[in-house]
Amino acid sequence: MTLYLVVPFLFAIAILQTSAVPHLTVWGVFPDVPVLVVASWGLLRGRREGAIWGLIGGMAVDLLSGLPAGAATLSLIAVGLLSGLAQTSAFRQHGILPVITIFLATIAYDLVTLLILGISGSRVLWLDSLIRIVLPSAVLNGALAPMVYWTMRSLYARFGSDEMGR
Amino acid sequence: MSRERLRTLLPFLVFALALAGFVTHRIGWLAPVESFLLRVTVPVQEGTSFVVRQLGDLAQTARDLRGLRQRNEELQAENARLLLEIVRLKEVEHEAVVLRDLLNFARAQPSYDIEGAHVVGRVIGSDPSNLQRYILLDIGREDGIARNMPVITDRGLVGRISEVGTGWSRVLLIIDVSSSVNALTQSTRASGLVQGEPDGSVIIRDIPQSDTISVGDTVFTSGLGGNLPRQLLIGQITGVERKDYDLYQQASVEPTVDFGRLEEVMVITGFAPIEEPQNSELGQ
Repeated sequence: MTLYLVVPFLFAIAILQTSAVPHLTVWGVFPDVPVLVVASWGLLRGRREGAIWGLIGGMAVDLLSGLPAGAATLSLIAVGLLSGLAQTSAFRQHGILPVITIFLATIAYDLVTLLILGISGSRVLWLDSLIRIVLPSAVLNGALAPMVYWTMRSLYARFGSDEMGR
Repeated sequence: MSRERLRTLLPFLVFALALAGFVTHRIGWLAPVESFLLRVTVPVQEGTSFVVRQLGDLAQTARDLRGLRQRNEELQAENARLLLEIVRLKEVEHEAVVLRDLLNFARAQPSYDIEGAHVVGRVIGSDPSNLQRYILLDIGREDGIARNMPVITDRGLVGRISEVGTGWSRVLLIIDVSSSVNALTQSTRASGLVQGEPDGSVIIRDIPQSDTISVGDTVFTSGLGGNLPRQLLIGQITGVERKDYDLYQQASVEPTVDFGRLEEVMVITGFAPIEEPQNSELGQ
């Protein structure tokens, strides 16, 4: 998928995340669609494109978020890289891989975000946040992983044959 | 009789025949013939009339059908328009109720110079992260909004402006973990710090053990620190947690504002916070 499509697509995802998604609360948390999308793409295309999608998606989220500047960008780059690593694993064809990858990617995303919040002077309740936010959020994203991964794979089949940046 | 002579006499013959017919008709000699002919022709006439009438009705029905179809389309369009109008009016009614409540609240609090009695900030977005609790408003610097201004609804305190742009502003909600507000319970005047929890719930902590707090008591802003006006409603105490070995006790608070359904809020523009928070936007 070319950058001309990736940039508006990820900005649209970020807008969706700030407008509609917060109303879809389950267990007190709502899905992290940018994490789901970036992790799915990283799984399909590897570390390099995963990181680029993380960079663009993170910048879009940072623009609309109250997080310290760059927090979402760094967190989503980590998600892209981590899921890109899973692409090279021996289980890459296994159906459970997207679920596990996105579960772990969500934890990584939230932990990096909390770390940046802590460094920037915000009050961080590590254990409470881990139990009440991070884990439920990871489980919810993991449950949504097959649906989002399947959608992204269809998108990849349609637009994804081009190398990024062409 | 030659043909020429017959042609000359024909009008007279026709006239004579007509006259004879008239006379015989008048004196009743033709009645049986007429009766027979009528008996034969009446059913034919009736059948013809029936067919013609049916054809006429059919044509009328076709004309009516065309008209009805057109009328039906018009009514369907009208129905759709009215449905949209109902939806729009219901939204207007809902907005009017909210604005009336806000206006009544503003009138009841004349000491606050409230931005929103005329220009109400509309909530246009939430924070994309589960780890933070912000909302985005459609009013900003050009509407007189500045950082740290208190944000309220008629139900109570929502939060404070944490960031301002030209036509937008971001509000840190009191349910965020980095928010802390000096507060007071209404009946016992116990003071503490209202803070958000990671799951979006709210507690009041740092209440001295000697102070009495009870379930159902109302929690207000105390105005201590000068970052928020006094007596803004925060919520109601729903549970008390007291440990003998602790210096302080804490209680869970149910906010009066429904943060999941925020649509319109007001910004108190006439209140100037005394000190700028250091570590967190809402810290006092």
